[in-house]
Amino acid sequence: MKDRKKLYILSFVLLCVFLITSGFNDVYGQAKKNKVRLKADYVKIMDGEIYLDIKATSKIEKQNVKVSNIEVTIYNEFNDEEIELGTITTNMKGENKYVIKDLSDIKADSTNIYNIVLSFKGNDSFKKASKSISFKDAEIKANLITKDSLNYITATLIDKSNDSVIVGESLDVQVQRLFRSLKIGEEFNNTDESGTIIVPIEEGIPGVDGNLTIEVVLNDHDEFGTVKAFVNAPVGIPIVDESTFDQRTMWSPRNKTPMFLLIFTNILIFGIWGVIIYLIRNLFKLAKS
Amino acid sequence: MKNYDKLINDLVPRKFGKIGVIWTSLLIVIIIIGFVAYIDQIRKGQVVTNMRDYALWGIYISNFVFFVATSFVGSITVAILRLTKNTWRTPLVRIAEIISVAAIIMAGITIMIDMARPDRILNLFIHARLQSPITWDVIIIPTYIVISLLLLYFPLLPDLAILKKHFKEKSPKLSRIYGFLSLNWSGSKAQKILQEKSIKIIAIMIIPVGILLQTIDAWLFSTTYRIGWDSTNFAPYFISGAFVAGVGALITVIYIVRRIKKLENYITDFHFDKLGKLLVLACLIYLYFNINEYLIPAFTAKKGEAVHLDTLFTGHYATLFWLVTIGGLVIPIVVLLFKKGRKPLPMFFIGLIVVIGSWWKRYVIVTPTLLHPFLPIQGVPESWRHYFPSLHEWLITVATLAMALLIITLLVRYLPIIPIQRTADEQELLKTDKHSES
Repeated sequence: MKDRKKLYILSFVLLCVFLITSGFNDVYGQAKKNKVRLKADYVKIMDGEIYLDIKATSKIEKQNVKVSNIEVTIYNEFNDEEIELGTITTNMKGENKYVIKDLSDIKADSTNIYNIVLSFKGNDSFKKASKSISFKDAEIKANLITKDSLNYITATLIDKSNDSVIVGESLDVQVQRLFRSLKIGEEFNNTDESGTIIVPIEEGIPGVDGNLTIEVVLNDHDEFGTVKAFVNAPVGIPIVDESTFDQRTMWSPRNKTPMFLLIFTNILIFGIWGVIIYLIRNLFKLAKS
Repeated sequence: MKNYDKLINDLVPRKFGKIGVIWTSLLIVIIIIGFVAYIDQIRKGQVVTNMRDYALWGIYISNFVFFVATSFVGSITVAILRLTKNTWRTPLVRIAEIISVAAIIMAGITIMIDMARPDRILNLFIHARLQSPITWDVIIIPTYIVISLLLLYFPLLPDLAILKKHFKEKSPKLSRIYGFLSLNWSGSKAQKILQEKSIKIIAIMIIPVGILLQTIDAWLFSTTYRIGWDSTNFAPYFISGAFVAGVGALITVIYIVRRIKKLENYITDFHFDKLGKLLVLACLIYLYFNINEYLIPAFTAKKGEAVHLDTLFTGHYATLFWLVTIGGLVIPIVVLLFKKGRKPLPMFFIGLIVVIGSWWKRYVIVTPTLLHPFLPIQGVPESWRHYFPSLHEWLITVATLAMALLIITLLVRYLPIIPIQRTADEQELLKTDKHSES
């Protein structure tokens, strides 16, 4: 009888413990996982890198947060088959770049479209996610030409899948600067029936040794992604370096103190302290006399 | 020798009376409270002060400038009066030397307090650039401390020898200390020649060094491109201000010491009259520079300057500005122009308001300017655009002032504040006594 009573009490205590702890589910239970949003932009630099610019974000408590340190696997989708190309891990900004060493390593479908799938397997904090992108290979052939003493940039946009020119697409022409590129030409430079644009280079643009790096960009195109071509144009005004970095100035570091200041201040300091030492010596002389 | 003995008896240091003990205890209590506040400031950081991105120099810097200014009294009263052979300076010089030493030592300590972490002092040497006025300041302050100490010490030697003899029986321990400090002074011709020569060198040297000190202090401000500080007049403006603060402090301390030590026969109305004339001269020069500093910017009325001057003339700082200008400068000039105004008691009050005015004047120079930068800082709390010292700042600042007063009090306690030997020489007491005895 006594044992039964103890059993009831024990059951009651266990029930209470269960009910109380069930209230702490949020604390002790597994936290709710958040969704990851993957974004990828295809970028092709003529005579340079071809890469996928990958970003991972998540909406946590109504705020977009960059998701860092997650592993994203990149696959080439071909004939309902996924061929693994490689993996990247997002950095602190939730970004990374997957460099495609050679476009010929990836298989395009029958319409010459490359299909890429990004896949994140999920972890303790985030659910699994994937993203597919498709693009066709395009090319920009850009050149510097001079006509009647005026300099122009010409660029032809070519669809590499069938080696045909692309007509009626807008290309940005801009000069590389320190913070952001400087656009030149019209607001929209649409390719003509030969797939070409021609943009005059304004005079008086400064460049190191007169060299300007001009970019011709097909920007974030639905079909071709971003394609960039760089042209080195020695048609700028050379920048005259007016830096006082190597000179002795009032604003330079202490190893470049102006000579007049070094000499004048040291004369003052050593002059005054020389007299002070002489006076202290006099004190010793007084003590001995 | 009667007169000589009387002179020694009148001028030797005496033990504190009841008032002296209470005064010293009070100063020590204030210093301890300030020290506790300082420890708390080190522990919690300068967040305990009200200095923020706008008022990055607050009461500590204005207090530092005040101390630097007051220390100028050594250059003025001692050196200039000495070189111009004004004999009436004799009973006043030692007090001036003592104030100078106390003020410049406290200036050095105050700047360390402003640095928050004391270990940052090392950075001033490790990263010193001769192009920076801060580095000049780091060099000139210790230099001025040493010169001020030498200026106090050299003329003291004969008096220390007198005190050694005087206390031989009364207090052998004290006599030994005086004996050690007197450097075996016997008054021989060789010693006198060497001492006189040394004093002359210090008297000459302390004038340019004092001017350099005030100039560097002014350049700390005028080399930073700020409204109200961007002035080529700033160095002479600071020098004349230091002249006022120093003489004001001297008059105040002299009156108290004279009264406590009953030195009315040595520091007479004549001395106060002379000091009054010196102070009125100082105030007039300073008033001239004040007019220069405020009238021209008000006349040209550049936008930034106009806003700054508005806060001083009619705005937030108007009461303080006019109290400092009229109370601390114009009224003393008016009072001191009259002979009755140059009597000891009115002079004491004038000296006191000049000192208080000088202290607040530095506050008016430092704070309003910092609150009006050429480029206002974006996105800061509204409270950062105003400044009034926090409790920590007040406690620490008052403690530094108390510390300066404690240094003065202790030196006044243990040193003859009127040069005994010099007074005796001047009165030719020994000679007269010899004649009368023969």
